[in-house]
Amino acid sequence: MLEMLASAQFWMDVFKIIMIDLLLSGDNAVVIALACRNLPLDQRRKGILFGVGGAIGLRVILTFFAVSMLALPYLKLFGAVLLLWIGIKLILPEDEHSTDSVQADTKLFGAIKTIIVADFVMSLDNVLGVAGAAKGNIVLLVFGLLISIPLIAWSSQLVLKLIDRFPFIIYAGGALLGYVAGEMLVSEALFSALVEANRYFHWLIPMLCALLVLLVGKWLVMRKVEIVRAIDLVDEKVPVKSESKSGMER
Amino acid sequence: MKILIPVDGSANAQRAVEYVIKNAAMLKETPDVVLLNVQWSVATGNVKLFINQQTIEDYYREQGIEALRTARAALEAAELPYRYHISIGTPAEAIVQYADEQAVDQIVMGRQGQSGLRTLLLGSVVNKVLHLANCPVLLVK
Repeated sequence: MLEMLASAQFWMDVFKIIMIDLLLSGDNAVVIALACRNLPLDQRRKGILFGVGGAIGLRVILTFFAVSMLALPYLKLFGAVLLLWIGIKLILPEDEHSTDSVQADTKLFGAIKTIIVADFVMSLDNVLGVAGAAKGNIVLLVFGLLISIPLIAWSSQLVLKLIDRFPFIIYAGGALLGYVAGEMLVSEALFSALVEANRYFHWLIPMLCALLVLLVGKWLVMRKVEIVRAIDLVDEKVPVKSESKSGMER
Repeated sequence: MKILIPVDGSANAQRAVEYVIKNAAMLKETPDVVLLNVQWSVATGNVKLFINQQTIEDYYREQGIEALRTARAALEAAELPYRYHISIGTPAEAIVQYADEQAVDQIVMGRQGQSGLRTLLLGSVVNKVLHLANCPVLLVK
C-alpha cells in the first residue's frame, strides 16, 4: 500500500480518475436540484438527501459491477469501444434536442425515482471511465467513488466555468478517455499474445486511441460549426410608477 | 443613452448600478437602463431527458429574478425607468450578444473582487467582455 503511494504510476492514475470524474459527472447535481424543485419545501430537503444517497449507492454498485464485467473475455473490447465513443461525445458540442420528457413530479417518491433513474443513465459513462482507469485497483476505485460524491451533490457550474476558462480541457478529457480505452484494449485477454510479442503496444495503442478520439472529435466539430447563441428567457420593461411620483409632485 | 448593466446579484454588480443611478442626473436626458442577468446553461443534454422544459425554465427564471432583485430595488427607489432581461448561456458571450442586439451605447460593469486563485482558475467575465465588446465598457471600482 505504502510503496504504491510512492510510485509515479499511482499518481498518474489518480489524476486520470479526478479528470474523468470531473468531466463526466456534472449533470447529476442539476437533475437532483431540478427534480426536487416542485416538491413542498419540507419535503425538498428529504428529496435531495434521499436522491443524493440513492445516487451514490447506485454508483458504488454500478462501479463494482462494471469492474467484474470487465474481467470477462471480450467485454474489455466492448468497454474500450464504448469509452472511445464517450471520449468523442465529450468533445462534440451538445445537440439541442428538445424532448417531451417526464412530467415534473410533485410527490417525494416520484422525484426520488426521477433522480435514481437519471443517475443510472448518466453514471454509466463515468463508471466505465473510472473502472477503466483504475484497472482493477481497489484503492483507486474507492478513491474515484469518493471524489465523485461531492461532484454529485454540488453544482455543476464549476465544470462549466472551468471549461469556459480553459476550453482545451474538453480535448484533454477526450484524449484521456481514448488513452484509457487503449489501455483497456491492450489488457484484453484476446490480444495478450500479440501484445506480449510487441511490447511497445503497451504505450503505442493507448496513444493511437487518444489521437483517434481527438481527430474524430475535431473532425465532427468542424463539420457542424455553429456558435451556440445565448437564449433569451425574460424581457420586461418597468416604467416609473407614475402615481406615486405625480402624487408627490402635486 | 442606452446603458447595459450586467448583474449577478453580487456587491460588485450593485456598485455599477449605483454608479449609473448617481450619474443619471448629469445626463441631459434620462438614460435608458437595461439590466441583464445571464444564467449558465447547466441543464443541457442528458438533463433534458429527465426534467421537462417548463421546470428548467422556471429554475432559470427564479435564479435570474433573484440575481436581479437588489439592482431592481435600487432603480425603483431612484425612480429610474429600466428594462430587465434574463439570458441563458455563457456570461461574457451572452452579455456582448445582448449589447449588440440592443445596440447599447455603453456597458457598465462592476470590477470583480475575486481573489487570485479564483481568477486564475475560473477567469473573469469582465476580462472577456472587455475583449469581445463592440461598444465602450465602463468598469466601476
